[in-house]
Amino acid sequence: MRTYLYDGTFESFLTALSLALERTEEYAIARESGAGAEAGLFSEFVNAGTDPARAGAMRDFFEERGSAESWHHARYAFLSEAAGAEDAVLAYARLIKEKGRAADDMLADLRVKKVQDLSRSVGGEAHMFKGFVRFKELADKTLYARIEPDHNILPLLTGHFRDRLGEFSWIIHDARRGRAALYLKGRLISAPLTQEKALEFDGKEAEVQELWRHFFKTAAIKERTNPRLQLQNVPLKYRKNLTEFD
Amino acid sequence: MMDLQQKLEILADSAKYDASCASSGSNRGGRGTGAAHQSGICHSWTADGRCVSLLKILMTNECVYDCAYCVNRRSNDAPRAILTPDEVAGLTFEFYKRNYIEGLFLSSGITVSPDRTMELMLEAVRKLRENFHFNGYVHMKVIPGADQALIDQAGLWADRVSVNIELPSDKSLRLLAPGKTKDTVLRPMNRLAQRIAAHKDEVRSIKSSPAYAPAGQSTQLIIGATPETDREIIKLSEALYGKMALKRVYYSAFVPVMKDNRLPALREPPLLREHRLYQADWLLRFYGFTADELLDEKHPGLDLNFDPKTVWALNNLDKFPLEVNKASYEEILRVPGIGVTSAKRIVRARRAGPLKLDDLKKLGVVMKRAIYFVTAGGKYGGIKKETEEAIKVKLLEHKNPNNQLDLFVEKALVKEGLEATVTGQL
Repeated sequence: MRTYLYDGTFESFLTALSLALERTEEYAIARESGAGAEAGLFSEFVNAGTDPARAGAMRDFFEERGSAESWHHARYAFLSEAAGAEDAVLAYARLIKEKGRAADDMLADLRVKKVQDLSRSVGGEAHMFKGFVRFKELADKTLYARIEPDHNILPLLTGHFRDRLGEFSWIIHDARRGRAALYLKGRLISAPLTQEKALEFDGKEAEVQELWRHFFKTAAIKERTNPRLQLQNVPLKYRKNLTEFD
Repeated sequence: MMDLQQKLEILADSAKYDASCASSGSNRGGRGTGAAHQSGICHSWTADGRCVSLLKILMTNECVYDCAYCVNRRSNDAPRAILTPDEVAGLTFEFYKRNYIEGLFLSSGITVSPDRTMELMLEAVRKLRENFHFNGYVHMKVIPGADQALIDQAGLWADRVSVNIELPSDKSLRLLAPGKTKDTVLRPMNRLAQRIAAHKDEVRSIKSSPAYAPAGQSTQLIIGATPETDREIIKLSEALYGKMALKRVYYSAFVPVMKDNRLPALREPPLLREHRLYQADWLLRFYGFTADELLDEKHPGLDLNFDPKTVWALNNLDKFPLEVNKASYEEILRVPGIGVTSAKRIVRARRAGPLKLDDLKKLGVVMKRAIYFVTAGGKYGGIKKETEEAIKVKLLEHKNPNNQLDLFVEKALVKEGLEATVTGQL
């Protein structure tokens, strides 16, 4: 099995996808320095590199041979960072090459179902985090939030928070991936952020947090206690960064 | 002298019996802070499993009324508090900017008079919109008996407006809520319905008309405090959706907080009944059912063992099994175990080629239930002697292998089914 290696970025992945689609032999796609890049006795690795023209052409392929929906699923499935996601998108792309936009109707076909399921997980987590992001006001009035999502949903959150907190400066820090989205003085940038030095909060921050915790505790009707339902909706893994569960 | 935290505790505690939590139906935005999200966003879930989307508080829990079921009734010796409009607006803003909430849900007890109460509430919401340039979600309760001009204003500032009917019949209202009648409650609802409809017409010709309660109107009914049947309740909801174009009716299981001999002495709130009513409500709004199809005079109560769609299917076995590759979307929606999402997937997937029974599970169909009611390519996977009794036994077996329908199982049913209700898949 030959494998194209991409450098972890979406553009490089699309390059690898474009190369693999051209080949008639079976190719896999793996992230360099990922689990799929381990050298076996019969494996052959090729670096796909990053080719903006090829990447652009892949986008056109999905949107035109498939549809806007196909492009959406391809992007989102990639962001899942799940094991096998790359090969799932490759199989999906081959199907689209063969069937065109009819591929997206084949919902019971495992090649379509796998990619759509991954896409749905990513979309679902992104929507959940629109609710779960919790900002704290720093001394310089910047709003800082820390998240630890399963999937790489940070790019899916920035537009949403720019729309509603456009008048503020804010930082959303994906602590699991060591990256942050920063919105400072009206400009949105993405940057690595690993060091978590002690943050200096605004004077009123602790008070507002206390008010929120009190509100949250009070709002539950004791006669309807249902910890299982609460657990289903707010999994334990997310509670670390939620102010009300602190 | 109470501090903000104490006041918040009292006023949040009083507001929690109002079930409405929606933050959807509006896509407000623009200069300022905040935007409303069309589908709504849940920010957290409290210990009772309910979603937190809005800062849900009363302006004050002082009240001139003496409704039997309410913890804030005039004759109850409870600590009273009141927030200023500045406090309401400021608190909403501080919570919003930290992304704790989508916006504000403001209700109130009646202080001094309905007019005075509305004025205070309107002042709070106006400050939030104008001083803080807040474009997030606002749900405002409207006080029955307030002046029409004040009621009209609510729609200008809020995304959703509501009046809680609470008691599903005039007789019950008069018994438990002295001073309130069906007319006093329905009048502001009718007025708001008219204004909302008028605005929709206006916007057709003048696109820039300022929004008027874009997320519409809702209401709430208390379940189990009074003797109305499920049939009466669902027929009331059907009329409210049909005639008054309400967006939602909420059903709130009666929580006995006040001792009163006009109220039933329930040991616990009727949660399973509330759950069945939500399922029936969903059938009216998304599955094309009418109230009469679900309940009639001989069967005025919803079955506690089975969801209302399954009950209907068992009473209409002559319509089944349906061939999934040929039946219409509307017919497929009526199969137990096939929700709106799966039905849409079936209709889409069969365009690409005929579906087999094995495919259905991949499309999200709950085969445990659906298997008795469908064929795929003519093949049937259910039981040989397909009678109502035989299928019922099979379905119950699945839910509870020991076949003991006791209180334990009831609770389990509630927990397992609640998620399905929230997502609307039946």
